[in-house]
Amino acid sequence: MPVVLIARDDQYVLNHTTRFIARDTGTVSEPFHLPVVDTHWDGASAETSYQFNDVTFVHRDDEAREVGVVGTFGELHTPVPLREVRFLDEPTGLWAATVRVGKGQVHRYRFTVDGRSVLDPVNPQRQRTDNGQEWSRFFTHGCAVPVSFDRWELRLLERLVTQVLPFQLAENRRFLADFYHKLSRSERDRQFPLAFLMDESVGVVNFIDKLLAREERHNLDDYKICLRLIDDVLRARFPGREPAELGRQAFMDLYDELAANQVPGWDHGRYGEPRYFLLLLRRHAMTGAFAHPKHGGNHGAAAWAYLAERFEFDWRAAVEAPLGRNTDYRG
Amino acid sequence: MADETFDAVIIGSGAGGAPVAHALVRAGKRVLVLEKGPLFHSQHTSPDGLSDFKRDEEFATGAEKVLQVQGVANTGVSFYSSHVEPDLNDEPHVYRDTDGQDRVTIEGYTAQVVGGGTQLYGGVSLRFAPDDFRLRSANQGRDDLRADPGGDVAREARDWPFGYDDLEPWYCRAEELVGINGTRDGQLKPASVDNYQKPLEPNDISAHVAAGMDALGFRRYRTPLAVITEDHAPSGRTVPTDRESIKTAFVNRYGDPLGLKSNTWVSLLHPISTQPGFALRANCVVTHLSATNGRVTDVHYRDPLGRERTVGGTVVVVACSAIESVRLLQLSAERDAGFADRINGNGLLGRYFLTHCFGGASARVPGRHDKSRTLDSDWATDACATPEFVRANGLWAGGAIYNNTSDSALPISMARTWAANDMDTMWKGYLYDLDMRGDQFDGYLTENFGRQLSVAFMANQLPLPTNRITLHPSVRDKWNRPVAHIDKGWHSHDRAVMDVLADRCREILARGGDGVQLIGFGHVGNDVRRIANHVLGGARFGTDPADSVLDPDCRAWRFDNLYVTDGSFMPTSGGANPTLTIQANAFRVGELLTTRV
Ligand SMILES: Cc1cc2nc3c(=O)[nH]c(=O)nc-3n(C[C@H](O)[C@H](O)[C@H](O)COP(=O)(O)OP(=O)(O)OC[C@H]3O[C@@H](n4cnc5c(N)ncnc54)[C@H](O)[C@@H]3O)c2cc1C
Repeated sequence: MPVVLIARDDQYVLNHTTRFIARDTGTVSEPFHLPVVDTHWDGASAETSYQFNDVTFVHRDDEAREVGVVGTFGELHTPVPLREVRFLDEPTGLWAATVRVGKGQVHRYRFTVDGRSVLDPVNPQRQRTDNGQEWSRFFTHGCAVPVSFDRWELRLLERLVTQVLPFQLAENRRFLADFYHKLSRSERDRQFPLAFLMDESVGVVNFIDKLLAREERHNLDDYKICLRLIDDVLRARFPGREPAELGRQAFMDLYDELAANQVPGWDHGRYGEPRYFLLLLRRHAMTGAFAHPKHGGNHGAAAWAYLAERFEFDWRAAVEAPLGRNTDYRG
Repeated sequence: MADETFDAVIIGSGAGGAPVAHALVRAGKRVLVLEKGPLFHSQHTSPDGLSDFKRDEEFATGAEKVLQVQGVANTGVSFYSSHVEPDLNDEPHVYRDTDGQDRVTIEGYTAQVVGGGTQLYGGVSLRFAPDDFRLRSANQGRDDLRADPGGDVAREARDWPFGYDDLEPWYCRAEELVGINGTRDGQLKPASVDNYQKPLEPNDISAHVAAGMDALGFRRYRTPLAVITEDHAPSGRTVPTDRESIKTAFVNRYGDPLGLKSNTWVSLLHPISTQPGFALRANCVVTHLSATNGRVTDVHYRDPLGRERTVGGTVVVVACSAIESVRLLQLSAERDAGFADRINGNGLLGRYFLTHCFGGASARVPGRHDKSRTLDSDWATDACATPEFVRANGLWAGGAIYNNTSDSALPISMARTWAANDMDTMWKGYLYDLDMRGDQFDGYLTENFGRQLSVAFMANQLPLPTNRITLHPSVRDKWNRPVAHIDKGWHSHDRAVMDVLADRCREILARGGDGVQLIGFGHVGNDVRRIANHVLGGARFGTDPADSVLDPDCRAWRFDNLYVTDGSFMPTSGGANPTLTIQANAFRVGELLTTRV
């Protein structure tokens, strides 16, 4: 597919990068901001714009004469040229290009600097292909492709977060099921690509998967270690059973034990405070359920719809069409 | 020699800087605004039709970050900042806690973006009351003040160099050009011109506040809010056809993608941005000033990529918000003894740092209301700012009371502010309430969602020389410059003021109708860190060079061309949210400067 280049001006690039990059001491702050994944607007329609994001690649190199980017978002062997960003009519050493990319996608990319291929030195997301080559990686809004967790981890996490959220109540479960079944086929395809995650957790697991790849990368190890420990604990308790398939009570008990900071069988040498993990999980579950669906949770705005159904909450009035019904605000 | 020169160089584009730029450019002058933060657009000012602000709860209070600053007592804690607050690890503010230890805080920042704090503010745009300008005279000879055994009010209260009537025309100018909706009737603050736009219908939850104020005999008015509700000719902004759609809970702590909130970018700077005399450089941080013989010759700044540049101005206006303005002057003084002597010969720079006495009450109302259709506040009253009220309660000064309608309106914000009332303790209440899960979570939503209502007060804080901003001895920012060190405490009389006003807030809710259950009431009197986003004082103006940093024109006493126009000029903090007064004063100074450049 030919790459669609988007005109975003130099001021935009400076606005979204330099406060993280420019400094005399320390390293780049909030490196997860790169590449910049933002709303797309085609100037005409919310409906057609909504399928895409604008992705801005930025690379700093004061010496380079030519910078480009190649990746799976375009043609793998034809670099998209980055232009040199200017300030007060002088070159800044920053290079940038904005391309249109579909929502819900994961891509790998590398920069080409005067013919050399380099990783994005700022973006911490990396991906190794089957042939062993390392690439930089990004994903767009509403992406449901797992990037941080394996399947067993996702399923276990799913069971854990339902303990935190209100959706395990029978009436709320019913509401979610109805909500899902009432959507048209195309809405379902768009909003629930990972149907096995759409249940009582409204996509929270997917939200966490994305958050730990980017903004809260520093918490990924906590999850990896604790999920392994929980898996061990449950396997020891229920020999021969798949932890993710255990009954509700097993997870309710586990929640109480985590809350009390006393989980029989927990290996404290590997992770000191099980309760700390529960606190992380609580914050992430709450945020993932009710944050804007672009962050990967709140599938199809199901949690907002639940609030609207149970309480007074006309979220559609504020949120951009076609997700909401506000046509003044473009997202 | 500086790289280039302008008639005026203005540092900071918020409430204190933008009005000066507006006045000078309209008068045909060549002005450069240097702003540390990015130029985040609203849709109508953006070249691609998209705003950099979003209706997204993750923008107001984002993901967890971990404090890595060394040498303070809270290294390793989590913090959650908005997308336009600096990374605390890059540019921390450090305060001295009551236990004598230094801690980093997120309090005391407004927002670092073109428009400054006015991008995120709730837009509550009250005038100060007439007596707020003359608290020394008003309290002369009083012996009935509560909790002031040392006579500190008599010693420390100051009159402003001018009175309410002198600032009144500038209030009118600010209200007209900024774009504010509200009602006049019932205010204690006389206006020669009514420039308010018509307010929208209040959210129905606010009826309880109206009822409570009425029951107490408090005259009320629609809270003046810096949000346009009608087309606004001075800034060329238009409103959606359906005016009710202006209401959204994405107000306080959110930039407005539609540009209806009257931040200083959309209201004052964007309208002059096509004028030949106007230049704005975003992402440029000023590091220090240098001067020769009382004339600032060079403004030193780092460009977006961090390269050093200089610029000169016939006048130089500092408006970085109080803590950062004081710090910029102190950093300049640190490099040059002559500068230090001129700016701080009397030792007052950084002293008399101020915020507001604040607090309030909250309740749960019997019915359920859609709080997502709202602006930040519906009703206000000046009943606790009248001289009679102030005297009857043994206080030195009064304050404003208004209700909040947008708080706890959105699901994540309700959880993260649950039993936590400041930026540093964000999330803690919800996280540790471990029983709140499953059906109890559902119960929590049933009990609280769309049912929480709060009333807040803002009152004068007693100025004290010990409340001060200095340069931190060891903690440095990402440019390797010392960061601001905040020493702040509450006077016993401040607590008396807060006790009285918090109790009035409680009464308003208690009398708010059948079924209203009080959740709590109180104030910040036991927390030295709290700054209310209102960062004031530290470079106060006055008529006596021995007693102030700035002259009545906001010019540094011993400089020819150095002005300070953000909140730091205030000698007392006023009995209301400060921004409209900062703007009115900045328009006044801007007009003065048109004859000086
Ligand atoms: C969430 C929130 C809600 C608020 N609600 C209200 C309200 O309802 N009513 C009210 O009256 N007030 C409110 N305020 C306070 C209001 O924002 C401030 O009073 C006001 O913005 C202060 O004006 P200022 O000019 O002093 O500073 P600011 O408006 O903050 O402007 C200072 C500017 O200077 C820039 N700057 C700082 N250092 C440098 C440097 N070295 N070089 C270049 N630029 C620099 C900053 O980036 C900033 O843009 C609120 C604030 C917040 C954060």
